[in-house]
Amino acid sequence: MLETLQNLAVGFSIALSPSVLLYAFAGCVVGTLVGVLPGIGPLAGISLLLPATFGLDATRAIVMLAGIYYGAMYGGSTTSILMRIPGEAASVMTCIDGYAMARKGRAGAALAIAAVGSYVAGTVSVVALMFLAPPLAAFALRFGPPEYFALLLLGLLVLAYMSGGSMLKALAMAALGLLLGMIGIDQMTGYFRFAYGVVELGDGIGVVPVAVGLFGLAEILATAGQATPPDVIKPKLRELLPSRREWKESAGPIGRGTVLGFVIGIIPGSAHIISSFVSYALERKLSKRPEEFGHGAVAGVAGPESANNSATSGAFVPMLALGVPSGPIPAVMLAAMMVHGVSPGPLLIKNQPELFWSFIASMYVGNVVLLILNLPLVGLFVNLLRVPYPILYPSILVFCVLGVYAVNGSVVDVWIMLAMGALGYVLRKLGFETAPVVLGLILAPMIEMAMRQSLAMSDGHYAIFVTRPIAATLLAVGLLLVLLSLKSLVTRSLDWRARLALAEKGEGHP
Amino acid sequence: MKPARLASLVVLALVLAAVAAGAQEPYPTRPITVVAPFPPGGVADLTARPVAAAMEKVLKNPVGVVNKTGAAGAVGMQFVATSKPDGYTLLLALSSISIIPEADKLFGRPPAFTVDQFAPIALISADPTVLVVPADKPWKTAKDFVEDAKRRPGQISFSSSGVYGTLHMAMELLSHAAGVKFRHVPYAGAGPALTAILGGHVDALASGPAVVLPHIKSGKLRPLAGWGDRRVAALPEVPTFKELGYPDAEFYIWAGLFAPKGTPEPVLARLRDAVRAAVADPDFKAGMDKLQTPVAFKQGAEFQQFFDADARRLADGVRKVGKIETK
Repeated sequence: MLETLQNLAVGFSIALSPSVLLYAFAGCVVGTLVGVLPGIGPLAGISLLLPATFGLDATRAIVMLAGIYYGAMYGGSTTSILMRIPGEAASVMTCIDGYAMARKGRAGAALAIAAVGSYVAGTVSVVALMFLAPPLAAFALRFGPPEYFALLLLGLLVLAYMSGGSMLKALAMAALGLLLGMIGIDQMTGYFRFAYGVVELGDGIGVVPVAVGLFGLAEILATAGQATPPDVIKPKLRELLPSRREWKESAGPIGRGTVLGFVIGIIPGSAHIISSFVSYALERKLSKRPEEFGHGAVAGVAGPESANNSATSGAFVPMLALGVPSGPIPAVMLAAMMVHGVSPGPLLIKNQPELFWSFIASMYVGNVVLLILNLPLVGLFVNLLRVPYPILYPSILVFCVLGVYAVNGSVVDVWIMLAMGALGYVLRKLGFETAPVVLGLILAPMIEMAMRQSLAMSDGHYAIFVTRPIAATLLAVGLLLVLLSLKSLVTRSLDWRARLALAEKGEGHP
Repeated sequence: MKPARLASLVVLALVLAAVAAGAQEPYPTRPITVVAPFPPGGVADLTARPVAAAMEKVLKNPVGVVNKTGAAGAVGMQFVATSKPDGYTLLLALSSISIIPEADKLFGRPPAFTVDQFAPIALISADPTVLVVPADKPWKTAKDFVEDAKRRPGQISFSSSGVYGTLHMAMELLSHAAGVKFRHVPYAGAGPALTAILGGHVDALASGPAVVLPHIKSGKLRPLAGWGDRRVAALPEVPTFKELGYPDAEFYIWAGLFAPKGTPEPVLARLRDAVRAAVADPDFKAGMDKLQTPVAFKQGAEFQQFFDADARRLADGVRKVGKIETK
């Protein structure tokens, strides 16, 4: 303990030295920008900037790249809340209630809650990273394909809590997402599925173009289609800060989101994207007023935003403790270390204590920097809403096209985004919610791969899912959840969904 | 003749002279793009950047690296294959350049590109893969491993970077050379494949030496043998499959520079010279040392020969794997 604090003190002395601080700050600023721009997410941002770090030393390079990663999680909420455009995939859930809050004139509050939630999650999860990295990393590695499959199956159950309206419609949308996720090279055999000779479709349909299309473009089209343009929201200065009630309702979701995000984040793979979805579902399940979700529930912003931030720290656990490329972003950061002659591996903390501890310290510093950077920006960003729609919306469209194109330099992605925009418009008119499409699209390739890898491991025996303790436990939890939800069928009591449906009938139309 | 008209004629003559001189000016006269068909941070990218930087010094023109990714490299390779053969668009390709067209053929797809659409410039690095197993597994030598695989066909599992990927092909070459059968668990990339063996979810992995070295040193993984024609410098005690009597188990993760077919010979010659100077550049050497990637420069006929032999082995490997039937 004492040793840890001493190490941390050394780390801070490096992290606070002007030159390292400068790079941490630069990383945070770039990360915020990358998060704000629709389309470009942290992976694309880090990849684009990786070559620029080759001239730096290892500590500065890593500190800056990490700043981009967690900075993007702060920035991602901004466009989600203000314009219903997910800055990156992890912000999809924030679009729903964050944007609803903005329509009610609470954009400032939503942005502030998102920033504070991100700060709390970022800081707490660094503490966890510092003390728990080695034992947790060893645990995380035990997540092989069968465990991953069981976890993702739990993720599918989350779908039930994603939408406030008809369950049938939500499941139909999820199925659409799962189908879209089938496009691309079959990872197990090398067959192209539904690619129709388009080489770019071999990689499947990206989450980003779909999310930006379904949410952002559809929103713009829907607004343009109204007979009278909606009133421009004129936020007042005193309404920028969250009310006492909003703070109170956010505390629990921030805490739970932090823990949840960290735990999901340490698991190798790309599951960290689902941390915000799971958090949203969890908050809705626990809420006393689940019917408020989708109409501007502050918990629906606080939970997912905290979760996606602490998931980033979680993802660093296997990377730093074991040198394991636990996901696409840690893989790029490991490459950056190798370029600088630092050999990542289980001995990293022992052999390179300065790098490790200054990295940890810089994350504390970075989170403070981001909070200071983001809170004053709330006032600035909110004023974007004052821009008249004929100017605002075309500019957003331009940024969407640029951002989506920049990720892979692929025109095919832009077409996908436009097609999804049109589809999203139609679905909206028909009263379908589109978040389940995105979750389905994220889950489908992962769940399929995990299942078929598991079966390859066991030579086709399904017993592998129940003979491994972690997988079996997760599946049992899933079964329990399903049984619990059936309870209301048996006892014929009305759950919130039924109450909501009744209420909506009473009101005529929502 | 009025002075003004005279002046304009002089200007015209000067412009024409400049244009004529420009036409004869030796390649290159403008920036060159090296396409790395894989994302930043991968082997192709990490090789391309120092090479490009060192070539820039020789060619006195900017040499930029562009990551054109997608479909396991096919997108970027196809892009260069169909680029103008003028020496301004080059490709930094890995071993998979020989695998992709062969896999396309196997599935009866119109190939994204073929290897004869490229003119090889030079080989830059070649890293033989090494076979590693978790340290808690019973096999102490490659002989133990192969014998056990013979006793239990299809029971010993290995992870790979993806079906028909480089790490998959290395294991397939071994399995055919030794007449054994392994169980293949493909992952999406070399990183996840390494994570899988560290978590004990598979029994073996063929990997580039640099990424597994720290885990060998920490005692997590045990190296059994290498696929090279000589031992890996960092692992002098680890034999090669060649030494062990499996000469067909030869495989390298190599990186080489290519131009589109039809690039004029003087341009290719200039590029070969530039790469030769680049690999001798101290900055480049230091960079590759840090990555622990051995520089293996080959050019002209020598590279062509290496490339052809490698392509033949891999094509053969892909055909032997055939289409994969899953249960």
